[in-house]
Amino acid sequence: MYFCRLSLILGLLMIMTLSSAPAQTREMTDLAGRQVHLPKEPRRVVSLAPSITELVYALGREEILKGTTQFSNHPLKARDLPRIGSYARPDIELILGLKPDLVLAIRDGNPRHAIERLEALNIPVFALDSKNIEEIILSIEALGEILDARDQASMLIKDMQKRIELVQQRVAETDFRPHVFFQADANPVIGVGESTFINEIINLSGGKNAIAGARGYPRMGWEDILLINPEVVIIASMAGGRNKEQLLQSWSRWPQLRAVQNDRIHVVDADIFERPTHRLVEGLEMLMGIIHPELASDHHEY
Amino acid sequence: MNTDFSPIYKKMLLTILVMGLLLILAAGLGLGIGPTGSMWDKLWDVVIHKTAAHPMDKAIIWQIRLPRVVLAAVAGGTLALAGLVFQALLRNPLAEPYILGISGGSAVGAILGMFAGLAVFPGISLTAFLGSMITLGLVLVLARGKSPLSKHSLILGGVMMNAFFGAMIMFLISLSPDAQLRHILFWLMGDLSMISTEHLPVLLAVLPCMTGIFLLARPMNLLLLGRDTASSMGVNVNLVILILLILTSLMVSVVVSQSGLIGFVGLAVPHIFRLILGPDHRLLIPSCLLGGGAYLILCDLAARTLPREGEMPVGVVTALIGAPLFIFLLWRSRA
Repeated sequence: MYFCRLSLILGLLMIMTLSSAPAQTREMTDLAGRQVHLPKEPRRVVSLAPSITELVYALGREEILKGTTQFSNHPLKARDLPRIGSYARPDIELILGLKPDLVLAIRDGNPRHAIERLEALNIPVFALDSKNIEEIILSIEALGEILDARDQASMLIKDMQKRIELVQQRVAETDFRPHVFFQADANPVIGVGESTFINEIINLSGGKNAIAGARGYPRMGWEDILLINPEVVIIASMAGGRNKEQLLQSWSRWPQLRAVQNDRIHVVDADIFERPTHRLVEGLEMLMGIIHPELASDHHEY
Repeated sequence: MNTDFSPIYKKMLLTILVMGLLLILAAGLGLGIGPTGSMWDKLWDVVIHKTAAHPMDKAIIWQIRLPRVVLAAVAGGTLALAGLVFQALLRNPLAEPYILGISGGSAVGAILGMFAGLAVFPGISLTAFLGSMITLGLVLVLARGKSPLSKHSLILGGVMMNAFFGAMIMFLISLSPDAQLRHILFWLMGDLSMISTEHLPVLLAVLPCMTGIFLLARPMNLLLLGRDTASSMGVNVNLVILILLILTSLMVSVVVSQSGLIGFVGLAVPHIFRLILGPDHRLLIPSCLLGGGAYLILCDLAARTLPREGEMPVGVVTALIGAPLFIFLLWRSRA
């Protein structure tokens, strides 16, 4: 009798484990706060943003990355990945054609309807959300967990934190906080306001955002810019599809500006500053060198 | 039984058969070709064997390409038919829902509905309908004059209405804090990519409209001879016109709220078929319906496959074909 019951329970257990075996999923909360059922060991991952692609490479898990978006150009090897349309307009059919078991998206970046359609087609979508350095670190942590690269993730995070701390120490040596205008795009000129990670790294690198009152990415007229009269201007490269000379030229028309008078207009690599990845720390170091050249010493590479 | 068929019914049957075949052929192409490449072998697997195919290939064909092909077919048929009706009622070969600004009016209505957070059906379809009816009212006021200029002032009025609605749409988008609404920019030139299987039933609303228009084919023929002639033949002219206009605007607004602004389909398709089949609406209505569907499926196929990366709005293709045709028709009507 007892044996009978025991074998029944054992049998039931076996059936349960057998039936759950092929699924191998787990539930996780993504950074948009949604409950997502993910495969335990994803094998075919599609990234919907250049920043996610960079992070997957940084975690050393590129072998499971099967597709990415247009403009995913870093590292060089990422250029050979199949493209599934752009960040703002991913093509559902191209994504499906890659037969992914996990799609990595950006909250508020990728169109919501595309995410909803993928989920309706039973493809798990894990959304990352990185509006500041803290959230970038959380995103890296989550990616390490999902992609089974926890050690890589914590190494990456430690390196970031160490370098951020170093910058903070050096910046603390001075009270000088020049007004910095970051130009994200030209024609029309787009500035960078608060609640962005660029605003955060301007502050961390010892500057003060010249348009601190604005939020997000406001459109700026030259009248506004003359009024603000920033001391340092940082221009993201390729803004408006123009080359460095053209970008600098559009500013040299205004000799009234302090930044023009003092020759403090710099063009930087947009990909480093506009993508929420570990490389933003490189941007932070670079920005400190630009904003506070007096703090930069020889043993630092910028 | 065959002896009961008068020649016109035989002709109608033949037209429906040929056009139906064309539509099926176009739909087959639309299902078989896509950005992931042509999948004739897989299409065979998915449709005929059902089980043999990879689930992702199944999803690509049934849940991505099929809704899109269905939307293209319905939108193409509806817009072509609407063009045909407007051309007959306004007795103007250049009339068409996009050119008259009626599509634009329903687009503004639809966007306002989206802003208000209404459901796709009936909410957004209704606000779109309201927008199209208001525009239609304005167009009819413009069309009322008896001077020879009125023919072109109708078109001019429509062009201005389009410019106004285009600006209004851009204005609404720039007011919106929601980055998600940016896809409306694509929608301005027709976007068939957004449709998903759940939204397909909304399109059924065009069926009663089409049936109604088909039933009114004979009175429409008589209307071509002029209002007086038609009413002397026993047609209640005002009622027929009113019903036709309401049915047409209703189906156009249903389509526009799903597909965005696709221009010139209502111009190109009816004129092509008028050249082939003559002016009889009993033949033109079914051929515009089926042939218009086939036409837009093929235009969408070009829009999906021609760009090197991504896709272009289908309205680019229809305008590239339709606008030169419009200019040709304008030139001919002056000669």
